[in-house]
Amino acid sequence: MPVIKAKNISCQRGYFPLFEPVSFELKFGQSLLISGPNGIGKTTLLESITGLRKIQQGDITYKDASLLNSKDEWFDQSFFIGHKTGNKKELTCLENLRSFLTIQGLEVSELQAENALQQVGLAGYEYQFAGSLSAGQKKRLALARLTLIKHSIWILDEPFVNLDVAGCDWLLELLIKHLENNGILIITAHDNKTIKEKVTQELILKTFKGSDK
Amino acid sequence: MMPFISLVKRDLTLGLRKKSQIYQPLVFQLLVVTMFPLGLGSGAKTLALIAPAVIWILALLASLLTLDQIFKNDYDDGSVESYVLTSYPLPLAVMAKVLAHWILSGLPLVVFAPVLGVLLHLPSSSYGVLMLSLLIGTPIFSFIGSIGSALTMSLKHGGLLLTVLVMPLLAPVLIFGAGAVVESSLGNSASQHLLLLGGILVLSFTLVPFAAAAAIKINLE
Repeated sequence: MPVIKAKNISCQRGYFPLFEPVSFELKFGQSLLISGPNGIGKTTLLESITGLRKIQQGDITYKDASLLNSKDEWFDQSFFIGHKTGNKKELTCLENLRSFLTIQGLEVSELQAENALQQVGLAGYEYQFAGSLSAGQKKRLALARLTLIKHSIWILDEPFVNLDVAGCDWLLELLIKHLENNGILIITAHDNKTIKEKVTQELILKTFKGSDK
Repeated sequence: MMPFISLVKRDLTLGLRKKSQIYQPLVFQLLVVTMFPLGLGSGAKTLALIAPAVIWILALLASLLTLDQIFKNDYDDGSVESYVLTSYPLPLAVMAKVLAHWILSGLPLVVFAPVLGVLLHLPSSSYGVLMLSLLIGTPIFSFIGSIGSALTMSLKHGGLLLTVLVMPLLAPVLIFGAGAVVESSLGNSASQHLLLLGGILVLSFTLVPFAAAAAIKINLE
């Protein structure tokens, strides 16, 4: 039984459709890699799937209910990390991690947050302001949320960007573990070949050629 | 309730670390107020006459300095997603943001108002009404400003546009707010003006969160 079904969805920027309509189905434990050249609309598609944008054409259903109607359940089950990390530069790493998740309704104790930071290799940075971190460390701080959440659907936009080799390995391991635990993963990544081998489906976006009407 | 409190707490922590959101409006008010006696060149009587209007207009302008920050920073760093992509109602998150903004930028204006009153020779009997009217009025600034801030959050320099959008909506607040202080300085009862001001506050408290939430969603699309 597919959990997520997307039928003929397409996204627009202004009045222009970005890519040929795409369809996919995902069961628990499955993953989807969205690829395509720069500017084709990968991020736009991901943001539409998460619910940040409206889907202008086609429909996505979650557990057979359209996302247009059952947003709350979808939001409770899906977790999105985009290009913007969502870290506040005036807050420390620990505060960032905790406040972000508490605002999402997930209580995180200090100990849990410290553990999560340790896992992403930010041990010792707990009380450093996020503004003083490097780009890769900021990404790690955002990804640390993944170790604390219980959402079954992870939607990640270019999570490997800015990470070093060790970071990529760690993330890959985390994603594989998530899939083994029957999680669902929707991801974009174009410079990582290993993830290509691990995902169950790949969706290549193609430029919109014009309608057949 | 947890997301609400933690959002307020986070914004207060941010405000107390940056501080400019708190002292900028106050310094601005103080600087402008000291110019009035110099520019007018006349005595205490004229100053007392214009004091209610000046203090209220300054409160309005000082609020405008920080209004665009309500949602802009969150949009820029992406943390707006933390309260948009949840099942927690967005209007409640808007209320949390507005509350935090008011505590950081509105409340200091209320507390600081008597200082401006002294500088402008406002009769000391009106200080109570002045502070009370600002106590009701400044939350309205934050509420209505949040719509403007949500509408302009994706713009790089949305400050002027926000002012143009919000100023007409805040004109009634200014009329009743300054009106209340004028009445009390003349020795009349200010209750009519204050009640109308309270009415506007209730109205914005109930309607604005929905409008601002809709504006946020438009901007993310």
